[in-house]
Amino acid sequence: MSYHNRVTYPFTAIVGQEKMRKALILNAINPRIGGVLIRGEKGTAKSTAARALADLLPEIEVVEGCVYGCDPADMNGMCEECKEKIAAGSQLASTFRKTRVVDLPVSATEDRVVGTLDIEHAITKGEKRFERGILAEAHRGILYVDEVNLLDDSLADLMLDTAAMGVNVVEREGVSHWHPARFMLVGTMNPEEGELRPQLLDRFGLCVEIEGIADADLRVEVIKRRSRYEADPAAFATEWEEAQEAERGRILSAARMLSDVEIPDEMLQLVATIAIRTGVQGHRADIVMTKTSRTLAAYHGRAAVSKDDVREAADLTLLHRTRRKPFEEMGLDRLQLDKAMSEAS
Amino acid sequence: MSEFANSHAHAEFGSVYPFAAIVDQELMKKALILNAIDPKIGGVLIKGDKGTAKSTAVRALAALLPEIDVIDGCEYGCDPADHASKCRQCAEGVGPTGRATVSRRRVRLVNLPLNATEDKVIGSIDLERAIKEGVKRFEPGLLALAHRGVIYIDEVNLLNDHIVDVLLDVASTGVNRVERETISFAHPAEIVLVGSMNPEEGELRPQLLDRFGLCVQVEGLSDPADRVELIRRREAHDVQPASFAERWERDQTALRERIVGARQRAVRVLMTDESVKLIAAICLENSVSGHRADVVIERTARAIAAWEGRTRVATDDILLAAELALPHRRRASVPSEPPPPQQQHEHEHQHDDEDQQHERDEEMNSDTDSREQTPARSGQDRPDQSETEQSPDPQDSQGETGPSGSSMRDEVFSVGEPYRVRRIAPKEKKTLRRGSGRRSRAKTASKSGRYVKAVQRRDSRDVAIDSTLRAAAPYQLGRRAKALERELAVVVEAADIRDKVREKRVGNLLIFIVDASGSMGAQRRMIETKAAILSLLIDAYQKRDRVGMVVFRGDSAELLLPPTNSVELARKKLEEMPVGGKTPLSCGLARAYEVAKAHLRKDPDTPPLLILITDGRANVSMSDIRPLEEARKVAIAIEEEERIKTLVIDTEKDGLIRLGMAAEIARVLGGQYAKVEELRAEGIVGAVMSAL
Repeated sequence: MSYHNRVTYPFTAIVGQEKMRKALILNAINPRIGGVLIRGEKGTAKSTAARALADLLPEIEVVEGCVYGCDPADMNGMCEECKEKIAAGSQLASTFRKTRVVDLPVSATEDRVVGTLDIEHAITKGEKRFERGILAEAHRGILYVDEVNLLDDSLADLMLDTAAMGVNVVEREGVSHWHPARFMLVGTMNPEEGELRPQLLDRFGLCVEIEGIADADLRVEVIKRRSRYEADPAAFATEWEEAQEAERGRILSAARMLSDVEIPDEMLQLVATIAIRTGVQGHRADIVMTKTSRTLAAYHGRAAVSKDDVREAADLTLLHRTRRKPFEEMGLDRLQLDKAMSEAS
Repeated sequence: MSEFANSHAHAEFGSVYPFAAIVDQELMKKALILNAIDPKIGGVLIKGDKGTAKSTAVRALAALLPEIDVIDGCEYGCDPADHASKCRQCAEGVGPTGRATVSRRRVRLVNLPLNATEDKVIGSIDLERAIKEGVKRFEPGLLALAHRGVIYIDEVNLLNDHIVDVLLDVASTGVNRVERETISFAHPAEIVLVGSMNPEEGELRPQLLDRFGLCVQVEGLSDPADRVELIRRREAHDVQPASFAERWERDQTALRERIVGARQRAVRVLMTDESVKLIAAICLENSVSGHRADVVIERTARAIAAWEGRTRVATDDILLAAELALPHRRRASVPSEPPPPQQQHEHEHQHDDEDQQHERDEEMNSDTDSREQTPARSGQDRPDQSETEQSPDPQDSQGETGPSGSSMRDEVFSVGEPYRVRRIAPKEKKTLRRGSGRRSRAKTASKSGRYVKAVQRRDSRDVAIDSTLRAAAPYQLGRRAKALERELAVVVEAADIRDKVREKRVGNLLIFIVDASGSMGAQRRMIETKAAILSLLIDAYQKRDRVGMVVFRGDSAELLLPPTNSVELARKKLEEMPVGGKTPLSCGLARAYEVAKAHLRKDPDTPPLLILITDGRANVSMSDIRPLEEARKVAIAIEEEERIKTLVIDTEKDGLIRLGMAAEIARVLGGQYAKVEELRAEGIVGAVMSAL
């Protein structure tokens, strides 16, 4: 992972693309939201943003020596080995490390993604051992899938299933194994290359559509910052360090207050009304919308969810879930959304 | 709560949402509970939209499953009371004296992940012991774990066909017979299948469908109050799972006790002769195939009575049982519903059941089955069909003779209503590919696709190391000297090498060659043609095909849409496509041929299918040969390229003057031919019926 060695473009220095940045930050605050799907053209800072986010995030505490990087504070979500150690009564030492960004290339094979039999070990020692795959690598980090719509169907199923369950179960090539795999899923796609199946779309918590910046001044700003960064990454990073630190602090305090954010009954009613009005399938939309509104409230430092939070959350969660006829363009029925909003007031 | 036997993780990990806390979805909950009361009902298939608590409910069921007696220390959990089906060890160990000790454990819910390979499902040789001790020992797979328990398959319609075959075999015999890697072994495997699926993603094979005792359809809740309650509970669970579980513990315990009570009562439930007759009558009325439905209804009705605290089966119990047991077994048409596009989606899938293609002979029943549903809809689908067909076509001859009258003007026609199309799988030629698939499920020689099982070497250079090691394992004792000499742990010889069998769902490349000349603008012809193309596009989407489009009109042909995955884009292009001018058929064919050839160079594994949509009335040529003659020449060139398949859709109307030129081109191309009217799925019903 060579990009860890060089200075990453600072998250706060990204120009425009507020929605995408917001969606990423919300996921960083509340991983249960379930990832972001970014739809848009090439060259719109999608992958820069994902990497920059990882860099922005505070270091995470991990169990020392644990290959999966278990969280010492989360007994429930630990891997088998750590659980055994605790059961045996030993104290787990901990250490800190940066949040990782793991790429899932479109050409990846299934065995590399879920993990497989460790062949070298089997041949030299005659023993079965599990060789970890990309999903293990991504635990507690960010799994970045560029062009997720081009991913092999079976791989996409596996990946999204794991993302939803938070655990990777392997029953293949002679090995049975499971390990925790909670990661933040960031997928990007260019809709012109083909749609994702609705089933898969639904598994992404949020969805944002982005396009190139139309404002000429802002475009100039993009170029300027980029060239300054390229000329001297370290100096550029220093320039932005203050802004980065501030954002980091904001994320941390939002995460801390998240579980205390109240969601009044009227707001739950509103969420349900919006979901029914816009004709989304299933209940995942309601659930994600609620989580997103709470996270938004926390991000804004408010103790209770407001109507604006719900409105913003609806924008981020419904776009890809609205029932549509075959091949109709994806779109949110804003009219219905507005109706639901005004009814609530 | 470690009921996920294979992955203790599953249940322990994080925390499972309590069954009692699931809002509404009464039918689904009932179906699952009935199976907990009497596993012999045979499982449940839960169909429904995404995000409707399907998997949540099944995972929660694990905690409610009853306890059973098992022989202590038996790997398969044999039933001490059942002397007929025991594993080898128990059958030998428990003589007439019956000295085996008995213990109790909860019925297992075994998770079968989509990525499972065959060896892990059915079991295989114990690699470590074989290599280290030279002992041939069977290592049980998931089927052994699931003996007397439940196998849960999430997204069961996406499960690999090889694995489905294994499941079907075991489900029908109750025995897992293993013949592999020098191991010959059999063990009892009485399994109950529980599956969940979203029908949008494709249907299940009929045989597998029948293996599920019950079937329920779930939908999202429509009552806002329910939805609010659902969100509230879910949030409470996610934020503080432990206290949430605590809060629901009393309800969970009550539920568990009620199930235990119902289990004990179930054996005493009486069923009158009238009730049995009613069941038979219901099954006859619904013309279900086979007798499994009768048996399932009977058992289910008993369980319902027991659940309700009665010892006598009431008529309502039977009706409810029928409601649960019949939806997936009904042979005749389901109550016809108006087909909104979404629904059409689903219906369509019943057709694309992979294996109908090559199992057509055995499967004739179920095959016609799905088709019998369609006539009910045909009336709604084409109200004005007859009108259009009868009226003579004055502009027809004009368009043919060339630039005159209104046909010179470019016009853009709207797209007619789409419908579902009959199967248009290309005729297979003898290659490595095998019929079936989304459209085609190919076993390619290339190294991509999902690894499902291994076979004796075929020289594909795609070695299945795990399987190779297992093949070599039993011989390691004999090869020890060689191993020591070379300082290896394992000695593999050429005969041990196994290759991977991979399976990949490949879509084909469909290249539409659309006649957009003036003659096509006549009457509703273009609207219908566009509807036909759109219908084919929908079909292509579901089968993950790539599409391209060549349009010819005036003097030239244009590649309107280079091959793409984006069916949306194709639709957009189709909508905007102008019509008018002469008919340069040969030019269109030639252009499509180029595109197909270019594609084959890049991707020899997916053969292109050319779909020519025309009335065949060519009147412009590229050289000085007569237009139709030239078109025929190009067609011959296409026919000679073996990998390109063709389908001609003739849009010429039955009328006074039928020239049949499209049919002629189709004959030269040597591919399939259909009239545009026949493309509708109903059309094939008639054809099949008359052929019977």
